[in-house]
Amino acid sequence: MSAVTSEKVGAPGRGASSATGRASRRRSKGRAGSRKSPLLTVILWVIAAYFLLPLIWLVISSTKDNGDLFSTFGYWFGKFNLVANVESLSTYQGGIFWHWLINTVVYSVTSAVLAAFFATAAGYAFAKYVFPGSKALFYSVLGAIMIPTTALAIPTFLLFSSAGLTDTPFAVVLPSLVSPFGVFLMSVYAADAVDTSLMEAARIDGAGEFRIFFQVALRLLGPGIVTVLLFALVATWNNYFLPLIMLNTQTLFPLTVGLSQWEAASSSGGGGSQALFSSVITGSLISILPLVIAFLYLQRFWQSGLATGGVKG
Amino acid sequence: MTTSANTLASARPAAAERRRPRTSSDKRRQHIAAYVLIAPFFLVFLAMLVVPLFYSGYLSLFQTKLVGGTTFVGIANYIRAFTDSQFLSGLGRMGLFLIIQVPVMVCLALFVALAIDSGRAKASTGARLLIFIPYAVPGVVATLLWGYIYGTDFGPITQIFQALGLHAPNLLSNANVLGSLMNIVTWEFVGYNMVIMYSALRSIPTDLYEAAEIDGAGQFRIAWSIKIPAIRPAILLTVIFSIIGTFQLFNEPELLQSIAPNAISSSYTPNLYAYTLAFVNHDVNYAATIAFALGFVIMIISFVVQIAQQRSQRQGASA
Amino acid sequence: MRRKTAQRIMTVGAAAAAMSLLVAGCSSPSTSSSSTKPVSASDITKAMNTPTTLNFWTWLPNVSTEVAMFEKKYPKIKVNVNNVGQGAAQYTKLTNAISAGKGAPDVAQVEYQYLPQFELTKSLLDLSPYGASKLKSSFSASTWNQVTQGSAVYGIPQDSGPMGDLYRADILKKAGITEAPKTWDDFATAAATVKAKTGSYLTDLPPNDAGAYIGLLWQAGVKPFKYSGGKDVTVNLDTATAQKVGTYWNTLLQKNLVAVDPNFTTQWYQGLDKGKYATWLTAAWGPVFLQGEAKDTAGLWKAAPLPQYSTTANVSANLGGSTDAVLKSTKNPIAAYELAKFINTDQQSIETLNTKQSLYPPQTSLLNSASFKAQSAPFYGGQKVNALFADITNTVDPDFEWPPFMAYVYSSFNNTLGKAIADKTDLNAGLAAWQKSIVSYAKGQGFTVTQ
Repeated sequence: MSAVTSEKVGAPGRGASSATGRASRRRSKGRAGSRKSPLLTVILWVIAAYFLLPLIWLVISSTKDNGDLFSTFGYWFGKFNLVANVESLSTYQGGIFWHWLINTVVYSVTSAVLAAFFATAAGYAFAKYVFPGSKALFYSVLGAIMIPTTALAIPTFLLFSSAGLTDTPFAVVLPSLVSPFGVFLMSVYAADAVDTSLMEAARIDGAGEFRIFFQVALRLLGPGIVTVLLFALVATWNNYFLPLIMLNTQTLFPLTVGLSQWEAASSSGGGGSQALFSSVITGSLISILPLVIAFLYLQRFWQSGLATGGVKG
Repeated sequence: MTTSANTLASARPAAAERRRPRTSSDKRRQHIAAYVLIAPFFLVFLAMLVVPLFYSGYLSLFQTKLVGGTTFVGIANYIRAFTDSQFLSGLGRMGLFLIIQVPVMVCLALFVALAIDSGRAKASTGARLLIFIPYAVPGVVATLLWGYIYGTDFGPITQIFQALGLHAPNLLSNANVLGSLMNIVTWEFVGYNMVIMYSALRSIPTDLYEAAEIDGAGQFRIAWSIKIPAIRPAILLTVIFSIIGTFQLFNEPELLQSIAPNAISSSYTPNLYAYTLAFVNHDVNYAATIAFALGFVIMIISFVVQIAQQRSQRQGASA
Repeated sequence: MRRKTAQRIMTVGAAAAAMSLLVAGCSSPSTSSSSTKPVSASDITKAMNTPTTLNFWTWLPNVSTEVAMFEKKYPKIKVNVNNVGQGAAQYTKLTNAISAGKGAPDVAQVEYQYLPQFELTKSLLDLSPYGASKLKSSFSASTWNQVTQGSAVYGIPQDSGPMGDLYRADILKKAGITEAPKTWDDFATAAATVKAKTGSYLTDLPPNDAGAYIGLLWQAGVKPFKYSGGKDVTVNLDTATAQKVGTYWNTLLQKNLVAVDPNFTTQWYQGLDKGKYATWLTAAWGPVFLQGEAKDTAGLWKAAPLPQYSTTANVSANLGGSTDAVLKSTKNPIAAYELAKFINTDQQSIETLNTKQSLYPPQTSLLNSASFKAQSAPFYGGQKVNALFADITNTVDPDFEWPPFMAYVYSSFNNTLGKAIADKTDLNAGLAAWQKSIVSYAKGQGFTVTQ
């Protein structure tokens, strides 16, 4: 794939460009010559509607009770039951839903922060240092991106179970700390964002390598770190398979496993079981809000982080 | 895997190699720093990825029976896998998924990315965010959501067909369920792929096509001849990730199974099959084999895609 | 509680667990708890007065009520309740915990048909030395037979599911039918009339519920499985009688007189609510369950015995129901046994299970009690539903066994016979495929299979 490399490296103004140089090349939004096309606007918004409609359905359905869910039109309101839904969601099984939400936050924030830090340090090292074995190690990281997750889930479970780690938060957090794609993204980003001459200057000033990393590089790597952090956050937040097999205790569940257990309870009949459809739907809505807000709030960072990683990929 | 690794590795900056350390003690200090920096990652990498991987490979060489215990069988499990009609039909189904869903998803993402990048659509920032939001929705919730929308007697799609006096299609039937799954996956990941491509588009130096614009070239022409070739690596990245994702499909079919239990068999996708083997059929060894064989297939297909990509690029260059 | 099929196999590393278990089972025959010496009364008194913590896995909602009664009687014993999932989901976790050698509970809810699977891996404690054999007369014959293996007792019955027929009296009336069909021939005739006059299907034949289909086979007299420990197992689903059942439903399916919606799905719940099905062939836990899920149809339902194959016959089958079993790994076998026994034999506890948690009792004391039978159910127009199912309980053929690999039997149903139902193709071809798939699995797992 040398073609890819030469293409990228060969692009005008690339090579040894600094972060500031890159920014100046970026176009501003309202650049000259952008007449608006009504047709394109319509097509784009039709496409956007396709992505939005299921979520609108979710919002509307979270205001309905079990009966209206099946008897009223999906895109219009029935009796307004949202408050009662949130109430029953909050009280069912002693309010365990909020427990699940807290678990999810704890698992995903811990995993994401550590995974992003590990990936940043490793990616930076691969980008800025040549050391014996660096190539082989880097290739092994890239190869790992391709490993199917089930190939690992079963053996990881067996190993954890003999180490007594199953049914603990570690069983969910530890496997989520590995982000080979994060290392790749960070190495690409660091190569561009951290100017080698800046490092040399710091060395001449007598700064040690770690001080350079913590005090010079980390600041320049900000957007890249946010990107890796957010993607790691999503990966853990949305993870279903791993916590499903690792955890037994209900109070340790994250949202995905908890909600699907409730959904499963509705789909297994029997004495004493309950149809929890409206609770599951309301819970689903609440479960996606934090991530959506995080992405909207941090979009400036992750988009510029991807801008570098993306083009190089 | 090395070929795919090559593709990705090609992005690896050459800056480091150009820099020459001044003295050997500097060099040693820098080596140590590099090792320390990569150590935390490689520690978890080794423990959480490499060890389980080898353990899985080890497991695949044995056979365990509920009655009779464990015996070493060499590659017998692999021979069984590549003659197992359930595994092969799952692979075939994913092949079909790959041929239809991945191009649709990638083209849609590319179209949206180009449309937004062109600056010709109104309120495109809003559209970009809306299209991206499904990526933040867990697969569990997305499948649940679409499951309701597909509902044969009560879902909004059926309701709309009925309101129009039409016969509603059963989106969960044998014939349609693969398409319904494709739709869920497309919904979830177009935004993600679009953002990667859009970011790549944003970092194309404008001078590359400003001249073309001045010469009066249309937006389609610019997109086709300048922008798409310029972001080829980003497109390839999304294609390779989609291939990997397709063959690993698990959450969506597993969860849709509860409402379409007969249309989605327990070996519907190779990953679902491995899971069923391990956790229902009590056959961990064969499950490990299937997972390994699957990795092998993914590797070959990624390899073929890259070769094809390379070739078409070379032809493009010589033309 | 009914064990709902492998449809939602949320499971987990059960496989792995089973493997390690077997290895462990072969190498080190367990010592302490396998003794058959009866436990003395003084041992029991001593154990119940020693401070002990028990872990109890069950998916029964609000079980803390019964647990509190137990803790009140034995203040030294503390019970931790954990709901790790329903049915198959829990079994997987149980198998995993057993194989990990850590985290398994002392007592677990296990459905009848899964007991052999845990007996095979030697995970359950034989309760007979603790006095369980004396409980035989407390339970209905069909449930007791399913928890015993020779002289060993592997669980205390908690609830049962003798099958009957819940029907919408109003829909049948609209079709000119005044009472539930008595025979399967009547049922077929009624199916045509109801469809023609009301548009409703007479019933739903769920393509995802192996348990329900096995219930129909059981009623017809098919005994597909034999297993008494060890490596010999009988799998004999594809018999002439079973084919007769298949042919019967083939006819109804071909004429589009019965629905084939997967049960316990959103679509099915809605169908029940909207009168899409005029009857539901289900177990004794069904009446109260339905009452909670289809509130809008209150007063319209009635209950009747299953249709019969001849006018003189009166037989039923069991669908679902579960037990409380004690794990062999428990460190407090006496207290664990006493918990399982208390919950399912203490009069106040079993009455609460029935009235508050809607479990249908397997206990003869309750089944024969006048107040139980006299309860009238407003949802069923004031009918004495309990009394009806108490009579049905005695018509269940108790001689029915399960194989030690039920999870596979259920999951392969969806791909074979269940698929034939869903696609409305020949059910007998589906039955043959099911038989074949189970046999080949059993052989692959090292069993000697008699067909």
